[in-house]
Amino acid sequence: MTPSRLRLGLFAALVAGPALAQAPAPAQAPAVPGWAVGRPEGSTLAPHAPRLTVTPLDQVPVSQIRLPPGFRAEVYAHGMPGARMMAEGPNGTIFAGTRAIGRVYAVSRNPDGTTRTRIIAQGLAQPNGLVMIGTSLYVIAVNRVLRYDNIEANLDNVPAPVDLTAAFGLPTEQDHAGNHHWKFASLGPDGRIYTNVGVNCNVCQTDRDRFALLVSFNPDGSDRRIEARGIRNSVGMAHHPVTRELWATNNARDWAGNDWPQDTLHRIRRSGEDHGFPFCSAGAADPQHNNGRQCSEFVQPAALLGPHVASLGMRFYTGTMFPEQYRNQIFIARRGSWNRERLTGYDVVVAHLDPQGNVMRIEEFMTGLRDDANQRFHDRPVDVHVMRDGSLLVAGEQMGAIYRITYSR
Amino acid sequence: MAAALIAAATAPAARAQDAARGAELAAHRCVNCHGENGRSGMADIPSLAGQPAGYITVQMILFREGIRQVPAMLAFAEGVPDRDIEDIAAWFASLPPGPPEDRRPRDAALFAAGQAIAGPRNCGVCHLPGYSGREQMPRLAAQREEYLARAMREYRDGQRVGVDSQMNGAVFGLSDAELDALAHYLSQRD
Repeated sequence: MTPSRLRLGLFAALVAGPALAQAPAPAQAPAVPGWAVGRPEGSTLAPHAPRLTVTPLDQVPVSQIRLPPGFRAEVYAHGMPGARMMAEGPNGTIFAGTRAIGRVYAVSRNPDGTTRTRIIAQGLAQPNGLVMIGTSLYVIAVNRVLRYDNIEANLDNVPAPVDLTAAFGLPTEQDHAGNHHWKFASLGPDGRIYTNVGVNCNVCQTDRDRFALLVSFNPDGSDRRIEARGIRNSVGMAHHPVTRELWATNNARDWAGNDWPQDTLHRIRRSGEDHGFPFCSAGAADPQHNNGRQCSEFVQPAALLGPHVASLGMRFYTGTMFPEQYRNQIFIARRGSWNRERLTGYDVVVAHLDPQGNVMRIEEFMTGLRDDANQRFHDRPVDVHVMRDGSLLVAGEQMGAIYRITYSR
Repeated sequence: MAAALIAAATAPAARAQDAARGAELAAHRCVNCHGENGRSGMADIPSLAGQPAGYITVQMILFREGIRQVPAMLAFAEGVPDRDIEDIAAWFASLPPGPPEDRRPRDAALFAAGQAIAGPRNCGVCHLPGYSGREQMPRLAAQREEYLARAMREYRDGQRVGVDSQMNGAVFGLSDAELDALAHYLSQRD
């Protein structure tokens, strides 16, 4: 417990004292929820409501999307409330995880080019982490790890998954105290599963061997390895197609002002590097949790991605459909802010790298879903996926749609 | 200002909800327990009158999907289409909120104790200072006291989660006595 939390907790116990003399003061009670630590007096900012009902096709805001010249967006699939992180099977089925609604969707292509959507799993807690290894789909739902073998051949009659939960031994929702327990998952070039273990609070002194990590495992859950430490909550990662280095997006802490800290992009050159959270965020000292540490002792972020934008799913563009300038550059979905008075994000950006892997600039790519004049949004991009034909899928969580972006000269 | 910004930030509803249709649907499945006027007269059953439509919609979907498990709601939520849920939610949201007929008299000491917890716990930030709720966050004012106490125990004990885990954090570490005081305070607000 931090000193500030302790003081507030005592204050709450004292003011409640007279009527509750019989109730012992709880030892571990935070005065405010972990995610709200640092909230200024009077703020009414709160997470936006999700939409968990089906959005009809004519309400999917594809016509709002703006792209650079030559690019075009279409609706690839819709009617999937809460659709988030995507993985593709060898036969081209797109799987999409969710958070609150607890479903995993499968989108397959009909012979006429249209798509068909099925629910292949439901009732799971935050099944956000998907990874495809061969013909098996791995679903990570908080600490549960489920392997659906030969899934594409069984979309209409999904067999019971193999339960690998015990082997992975990830922290439970209770271990996280309900904070940042959902997963992103990615298959590394070494055949290992890479995932995040988010921090168990908004910002706090935490067990840095257990939370705010990137970790990897053998696909059977053995040989856990810490890939990066001090990364608050990464919900997007991928390996560079040439250098094989791991890159990851990170969601920075809340309630430290409208413009600080920015979300970040991280380059992990060696397993086990320390990226500094909670002592430092976005390369600068945390106002409450720095503990006298020098930020220069930690790996600096590869790029700043904007304050409170919620940078999530990212992929390197490995296709050939888009112009050459996009080859091996990073597409990043920015879900959009809630912890900021004016909206930021709600778009897809590209991080352009130089040949040494330094980020040269962050460029807007898919915009139009954020309405600045009216301070509203049309959808929330949460993940990107490069299809084999080089088109780019973008998952829109708020409207439960997947958009497909193509390019033609 | 910020509240207005947030209220405006949500993407538009995909279709106009039909509260009249919702009333028809609710007459056959909801009002026996939740009350003809949406104010529950049954212990442990929450009032839904004046609840934000977004809250009712989200909770019904969590029931339907098996994420929130309440045995009494199973039969009523199973397989209910989105449209029915949205219309039922629109109808309950349109009803004037108010206390149940059997609300007990105010206990001044308990009320004060609850009030003293609600401030530091920031209840009014999300549920708004009058506890009227907004979007996915429910109205608490004049809700049935024993329902509020039970709901908060379930959040505290990890037996219930919402669309996010904000409530689990908000009541973390509170004793039964503190939750009872909070429930009394909120149930007495109008």
